[in-house]
Amino acid sequence: MGASVMTDYEVHELMTCRVAAEVDEDGVTVMGSFTPLAYASYMLAKLTHAPRAYLVGFDAVGMAPVQLSFTGVEGAAYRGAVCRWGMLTEINSIHLSNHGGVEAVSSAQFDGSGAINLSAIGVFDTPKVRLPGGAGAAEVIKMYRKMVAYFGNHNKRTLVDQVEFVTGTRWRVGPAARAAAGLKPGPIVVVTNLAVLVKDEDDAPFLIESVHPGVTVQTVIDNTGFPLVAPKDVPTTDVPTPQQLDLLRNTIDPFGTVKFDFLPGRERLPYLKGILEAEWKRAAARSA
Amino acid sequence: MSAGVNSTGKVVPLEALGDLVRDGVSVAVGGGWFANHPMAAVRQLIRAGRRDLHAITVVGSVDMDLMAAAGVLGHLSFSMVTLEAFGLAPNVRRAIESGRLPFTEYTGLGLLIGLEAQGRGVPFLPYRGPFGSDLPGKYPDIYTTIQCPFTGEELTAVRALQPDVAIVHALRADAEGNAQWDGTSGPDVEMAKAARRVIVTCEEVVGRDVIVASAHMTKLPGYYVHAVIEAPFGAHPTSHVPRYALDAWQLMEYAEAAGTDSIGDYVAQLRDETEEEYRKRVLAGRDSVLASLAEAGEILWVPAS
Repeated sequence: MGASVMTDYEVHELMTCRVAAEVDEDGVTVMGSFTPLAYASYMLAKLTHAPRAYLVGFDAVGMAPVQLSFTGVEGAAYRGAVCRWGMLTEINSIHLSNHGGVEAVSSAQFDGSGAINLSAIGVFDTPKVRLPGGAGAAEVIKMYRKMVAYFGNHNKRTLVDQVEFVTGTRWRVGPAARAAAGLKPGPIVVVTNLAVLVKDEDDAPFLIESVHPGVTVQTVIDNTGFPLVAPKDVPTTDVPTPQQLDLLRNTIDPFGTVKFDFLPGRERLPYLKGILEAEWKRAAARSA
Repeated sequence: MSAGVNSTGKVVPLEALGDLVRDGVSVAVGGGWFANHPMAAVRQLIRAGRRDLHAITVVGSVDMDLMAAAGVLGHLSFSMVTLEAFGLAPNVRRAIESGRLPFTEYTGLGLLIGLEAQGRGVPFLPYRGPFGSDLPGKYPDIYTTIQCPFTGEELTAVRALQPDVAIVHALRADAEGNAQWDGTSGPDVEMAKAARRVIVTCEEVVGRDVIVASAHMTKLPGYYVHAVIEAPFGAHPTSHVPRYALDAWQLMEYAEAAGTDSIGDYVAQLRDETEEEYRKRVLAGRDSVLASLAEAGEILWVPAS
């Protein structure tokens, strides 16, 4: 069938492409600091179907797409941006003024109502695990037109019946309820290593939109702590195209930062050291 | 240099910080994520043996964890504290999980709007808040619900927040305290406008003429500022773009120590050396590469004009 093409993909690449598919050119997205999968998805969108997606990384407003690295993203974001604000101006001018576009978020727990827990496992005041906190997520996941939640490990510890603590929530889900509250209508899309789930009505459970190649609907249901609706024929998630894989591997993320978050604990530190060594070598060559 | 009244009165050495920030006060600490935290000041507070500080951070990282490790904190107000790729902040985490560190977890927007309210001189500000979140219910003295007097819409009211001190790190400042940023300023301006006293650390103290020549970069005018401290690499190991990138290697060293007993040695070493000795030890000729790292990230595409 002609020339050989890149067809082998890893699940983090499929997830990146699926999150990227949600990114469009309507509204502004504040990404904050460098989170590899979210950044990769927005950059992929900007280099393919959504070149005018308006992004804020750190305080760099209207940034150009940048190559991912742990030490270089911040500097590059400013060098390619059209404006430099601060956190409060971003809040007032983007979140609160209803310009928010597509918010990608991950959390320790997520439930079927669209609530996230980034605060605590166990008793809030003296928790078993103190989590980092939600930063702006408590407000932002409600306000943005679309909420995209991504999880590299789809299981019942993460996708729970009810989060132990509601750091933030989508609050109003259906288009009518959102419009009545002055919010832009848009769905919650969940992208995991097994499937894509979507919810766009308050009273309806998440629907299994697609399962990834090789994953059964039953596996998804068995690993989800909240009720799901499975249509009779659940489609298979689109796999990354050769062009997407080429962009991700050779242009956007040649150091492999996205994969870092998908590695088991023991492999993480050596892998991170390898990336940082490559980043150091590149910079040292420049400064020599 | 300008010849204005008190033109050098605000410039003090880093060693004066311990006298400017007393035990038990609330301190808003600028920067966000791994960017631009006033780390030289954090180290100096540890050297000065400050205790029982109420630290306020929007998105804290190694700054908060290091202060927790050194026993500086009596209370922590935050919307997030994380070591990102290097994990959860182990010392903040342990201190909270064991009940040793009282804390207030704000929502991110709520914290900044509380600072904004104080800066504007009003006791609270309303906004379309974190509806559905469990956080406001935990803090009825900070968050409550009000009705819009005109439309009847239900809104979140967040109480004004006045830190005793704000410490922020700028690119440069002059002797009047006119302070400039080129990269990440995060919450710095709002913290400064809300605080009773403002301490600016900066990469370099410059003459007024330098500030005037680049006045569009001045984000904090000097009338807010009480003290100016020159602290080169003063955000290290966090970044100060465009001067230097985060020192991921030093952060990795910190993260490895932070989760273990050797954090005591890490803190003791900081405590027993001057800031100049710290720079010499950790930079060790690496400063040019840290600067280069801030320039090395590639821009992938520039839209046609």
